Amino acid sequence: MLRRTLASQRSFLGVGVLLVSLLALLPLGALLLVASRSGWAGLLALGPSGGEQIQNTLLLLVGVGVLGACLGTANGWLTARCHFPGRRWLQIAQLLPLAIPSYLLAATLVDLGSRVGWRVHGLAWAVLVLSLSTYSYVFLLSTECFGLSGARLQDASRSLGVGPWGCFWRVALPMAVPAIGAGVALAGMEVVNEFGAVQLLGVPTLSAGILDRWQGDGDIEGAIGLALVTMVIVVGLVVAERGFRRRSRLWSAGQESAPASRWPLEGWRQGLAQFCALLPPLASLGFPLLWVGISWGQLPLESTEDLVSLSLHTFALALAATAITVAAALVLAVAKRWLPNPWLRAISFGAGMGYAIPGTVLALAFLLLGGGLGLAPLALLVWGYGDRFLAVAKGGLDAALERIPPSVDESAASLGSPWFEVLRRIHLPLLRGPLLVAALLVFVDTVKELPLTFALRPFDYDTLAVRVYQYASDERVGAALVPAVVIMGLGLVAALAVVPSLENGDRSPTD
Amino acid sequence: MAFRRLFQALNLLPKTLAALGLLALPLGLPSVANEVGVYSGRHYNSDQQLYKQFTAKTGIKVKLLEAKDDALIERLRSEGDKSPADVLVLVDAARLDRAADLGLFQRTRSFQLLRDVPLDLRDPKGRWYGLTRRLRVVVVNPKLVNPAKITTYADLANPQLKGKLCLRDRKSVYNQSLVADQLILRGTGLTTKWVQGMTANVTQPYFTSDTPLIRAIGKGQCGVGLVNTYYVARMLNGESGAADRALASQLKVIFPKPAHVNITGAGVTRYAKNPEAALKLIEFLASPTGGRGYAEANNEYPLKGYGDNATLKRFGPFKGDGVSAQQLGAKNSAAIKLMDVSGWK
Repeated sequence: MLRRTLASQRSFLGVGVLLVSLLALLPLGALLLVASRSGWAGLLALGPSGGEQIQNTLLLLVGVGVLGACLGTANGWLTARCHFPGRRWLQIAQLLPLAIPSYLLAATLVDLGSRVGWRVHGLAWAVLVLSLSTYSYVFLLSTECFGLSGARLQDASRSLGVGPWGCFWRVALPMAVPAIGAGVALAGMEVVNEFGAVQLLGVPTLSAGILDRWQGDGDIEGAIGLALVTMVIVVGLVVAERGFRRRSRLWSAGQESAPASRWPLEGWRQGLAQFCALLPPLASLGFPLLWVGISWGQLPLESTEDLVSLSLHTFALALAATAITVAAALVLAVAKRWLPNPWLRAISFGAGMGYAIPGTVLALAFLLLGGGLGLAPLALLVWGYGDRFLAVAKGGLDAALERIPPSVDESAASLGSPWFEVLRRIHLPLLRGPLLVAALLVFVDTVKELPLTFALRPFDYDTLAVRVYQYASDERVGAALVPAVVIMGLGLVAALAVVPSLENGDRSPTD
Repeated sequence: MAFRRLFQALNLLPKTLAALGLLALPLGLPSVANEVGVYSGRHYNSDQQLYKQFTAKTGIKVKLLEAKDDALIERLRSEGDKSPADVLVLVDAARLDRAADLGLFQRTRSFQLLRDVPLDLRDPKGRWYGLTRRLRVVVVNPKLVNPAKITTYADLANPQLKGKLCLRDRKSVYNQSLVADQLILRGTGLTTKWVQGMTANVTQPYFTSDTPLIRAIGKGQCGVGLVNTYYVARMLNGESGAADRALASQLKVIFPKPAHVNITGAGVTRYAKNPEAALKLIEFLASPTGGRGYAEANNEYPLKGYGDNATLKRFGPFKGDGVSAQQLGAKNSAAIKLMDVSGWK
């Protein structure tokens, strides 16, 4: 009785939103406190290289945005809606680049290049490396949309005699714009946050500048000033993504649709599709593997005991972070649908900002918090992951929830179902794919995460990514590759777990 | 169906969280008497062997956390008196000095350390002690540049080397310490001219690491460059393959006369929970036995003499310039400014 009364009011949901947002915003508060303590005057001085760093960051964003969107969308469409030999394998392969840390890719390229006498250096290489390691975001979100949500409309257009290109340009692409936008925004945030790869490639960006200012010069105000510029850029990205989404609001109840058939590709088209889908994963996976191939025999072996403990640490942390982050994102996304309170919306928008803060700065915030609260380092670390990757999970869920027509909720509510019943019986089943995608992204991101893990982990608690970075930054690429291969393995397992959910179109609608 | 499982998993979340909390709890507790917590900027697997030796010898367990030096300094700083670290190991004198300035070390007195660590390789106030020596030297491709023409760092500013000199960027703390070293020895005027002369000779983009720089010299893209000895030694040892070994053996390592000596060092942290054990560990690492292991792990030189590393012996003897590690740290920010205005990217 009591349960029903409490639940039928939406107060639980409101409390959930407030709690999640409070946890997410607390570190930001700690940062602002530091900034105000040290005076705001220094914040606006960008320093001599600030302009160059901003310019490089923006150029990288544009370059990676364009290249990543093209690679991700093209492969999303090809593997979801076209038929050619090897399609399924190539679809899984698109997720592999997610498991390869971009600093490792950069380090292997620099190393391989210097062996054959090439200089791998500068902006073009940085765009290439970061596009390869982030286009999977666009791929994942867009292919999910091409394959599931838009299938029925695509079939309808096909029955009206629209060819494959027309179907792509006039039906599927406009429907997928929100998903592609969300993917590009995620990739953009990843680019803004990247520091290892850009430093290795000699492209000074904002995040590298922040690290220099803070840890190199001990200039916390200057670092926070640059961090604020970064946040402005990220807020711009988020707003742009929302604008995209608003312009093409389309609703469909996804998986109800009958399975759509794929466009068969033949002849040179087939070859081109295979090439297009094979090239990016081959490039990002191939270079590290090529390295392994060249120096087989000289690979320094990590002790098995060590590797097992590193992998267990990584896996446990990533699993905990994934569960917490996806749950928190679900609370925020569902609340946005049920509680039209503008204040709550503003707060939950702010809660996703953890992703906007460069990891190193976020780490500082958590160190400050951890000292005050006396929390155990591991709990603090998982909290940090949750804060940082909330936006990753939330972006996809928001986009997916928006595709479910409000009329569904309205009819359920009018039949007396409280929000959690609607969630359990309608939203969650429809969100299965996006939830798994969100979980995969958070999982893989946590496995690769560096700055927070570096700053917050306790004694004798290394993760695979930490080990990889330590070796790579010490110019021992060979030693870095052994734990890196395990990271790729974890990523592959996670990808394999998600792929079936992208394939629902193939199965009977009752699944 | 699969979805229902997910939902059940979500229901289990609070329990999972609680379990995680319990799991994490013991790790947050302060260290007990026979343990010593080490924050280290080094990361060599053979370091672990050395710590195990120490444990076997003294019964004191070593808990280890390795990260980049600057990140460790920041972590220690924000942890304040709650820090679980007893020993802080840092690479490069400038960082040791910075940590000391920030009040992260406590003063210690130990006859053994005074005996084992030469005066110029430790802090005069006893806050940190050198453990190994590393040198930044000139590497030459004899096909392109006559090695006999280079005997000092100053020779790298010779206009004849235009287009042949390659340098790593100014972010490298090793370069910063080298410029600080020259500032102390030769004063601001001459050092500025020297750096300007070198940057005028550099026509290629600045490198971001030493190994690719050495390879570029070997391949003839550059004729001469500045690198740390151990990167060449690693290649000579074949750690990165036979091709690198062949390439490195063509090159000539020149110790400028006198040579700039830098260190890896350690100190007892200000809020150490177990300062006695911490000091014991530092004494062990600075002792001839422990120190040899620490230096050997990364092909560095021990505190005294040349050690018995066969690869390092190939390089021959060198003479240090006598600039103390502490002075290097004090001049670090002046060095960075000078490099910035003199065009060192």
